[in-house]
Amino acid sequence: MIKMKVLIIIPAYNESENIERLVDNLIENYPQYDYVIVNDCSSDGTEEIIRRRGYNYISLPVNLGIGGGVQCGYLYAVQHDYDVAIQIDGDGQHDPAYIEELIRPIIEGKTDIAIGSRFIKKEGFQTSFMRRFGIGIIKFVIKMCCGVTITDTTSGFRASNKAATKYFSMHYANDYPEPEAIVEASLNGFKILEVPVVMKERRGGISSINAKRSVYYMIKVSLALIVCRIGTRKRKRSERI
Amino acid sequence: MSLTLRIFLIISCVISVVYTLKKIRKAQMNIDDSLYWIVMSVMLLVLSVFPQIAEQAAKLFGFIGVVNFVFFFIIFAVIVKLFQIAIDLSITKHRLNSLVQKIALYNKELKDCTVPESERERETVGRAEEK
Repeated sequence: MIKMKVLIIIPAYNESENIERLVDNLIENYPQYDYVIVNDCSSDGTEEIIRRRGYNYISLPVNLGIGGGVQCGYLYAVQHDYDVAIQIDGDGQHDPAYIEELIRPIIEGKTDIAIGSRFIKKEGFQTSFMRRFGIGIIKFVIKMCCGVTITDTTSGFRASNKAATKYFSMHYANDYPEPEAIVEASLNGFKILEVPVVMKERRGGISSINAKRSVYYMIKVSLALIVCRIGTRKRKRSERI
Repeated sequence: MSLTLRIFLIISCVISVVYTLKKIRKAQMNIDDSLYWIVMSVMLLVLSVFPQIAEQAAKLFGFIGVVNFVFFFIIFAVIVKLFQIAIDLSITKHRLNSLVQKIALYNKELKDCTVPESERERETVGRAEEK
C-alpha cells in the first residue's frame, strides 16, 4: 500500500494550558502523522508557547473563529498535497490514539469523511444533559435535511479524504461549522461515516459553549441548517465540485 | 400633506444631497454607492414639491392619509437598502476571511524559509564559545 500523507489540524484559541500536552503527545507517539496548529489570534500567550517550543503552526493575524481557523488548516493541507486531513480539538478532548481507527475507513476508500462519535459506544466523557439534548435535536434536523444519521453532530474530531479536504478548503461554514459542514458536505455528495471514539473532559481552559447557551445554540443551529438545506442544491456524488 | 412636513422634507433632501456630494469629493464614498442617496433625495424632493403625486398614489393604493404613502415609500426604500447592505457585508466578511487565511499561510511560508530565532541564538552562543 502506498503511504498516505496525513495532516492533523489543531485549531487553537486560548489553549495555552492544553496545547503543549497534546502536541508533545503527537510528536512523541505519532510521528507518522504531520500536524499543524492554527492559532486563531489567541490572547493568552498560546502563540508564545508554540513559538518557543518550535511547533509547526500558522498564526491568523485576525480572529476568525473556529470555522475560519479550521478552513485555514484545510487550505494548508491542500497546499501541501496531503491525502488525509484530520481535525482535532486543541483542548485535549480527543485522544490521538483513535486517529488510526478514524482514518481507516478513508484509507480503505469506504467513505469521504469520518467523524469520531462518543455516542456509539457510550464510553468516556458524555457531556452535560442539556448539551446532549441539543445534539439530539441537531441530529434530528440533519436527518431531516439530508437523510444521514450522525449521532455526535458537534464533534470536532473528524477526518476527510483529498476530495473532501479540497471542498472544505473552499467552502467551510463559519458560524456553526461542525453541524453545517456535515449538511453541506452531504448535500454535495460526500459520504459521511461515524467511528466510535472515547472523549475526555477538557482539562483546562473553558469550553466555547456553556450549559445556558446550549438551548440558544441549538435553536440557532437548527434554523441555520434548515436554511442551508433550502439554499443548497442537492448534488450527486458524480457531479460534486 | 402639511406644509410643515413638506418644508422639512425639502430641507432634509437638500442637506442630504449636499452631504453626499461632499463625501464624494472627499473620496469617502463611491459614486456607485452614492447614487442611491441622490436618487432617493430627488424622489422625496419631487414628492414634497408636487404633493399631487402622493395624493394620487395614496388613492391608488388605498391609503387613508397622503402622508402614510410618503412614510410607506421611505420605509420600503430603507428596507431595500438594508437588505443590500446585509448582502454586501456578507461578501465583505467572506473576502476578509480568505484574505486573513492567505496572509497567515504566506507568513508561515516566510517563517519556514528564514532561520528560527532559537537556532540563531544557538549559533551565536556556539560561535562565542569557539572564540
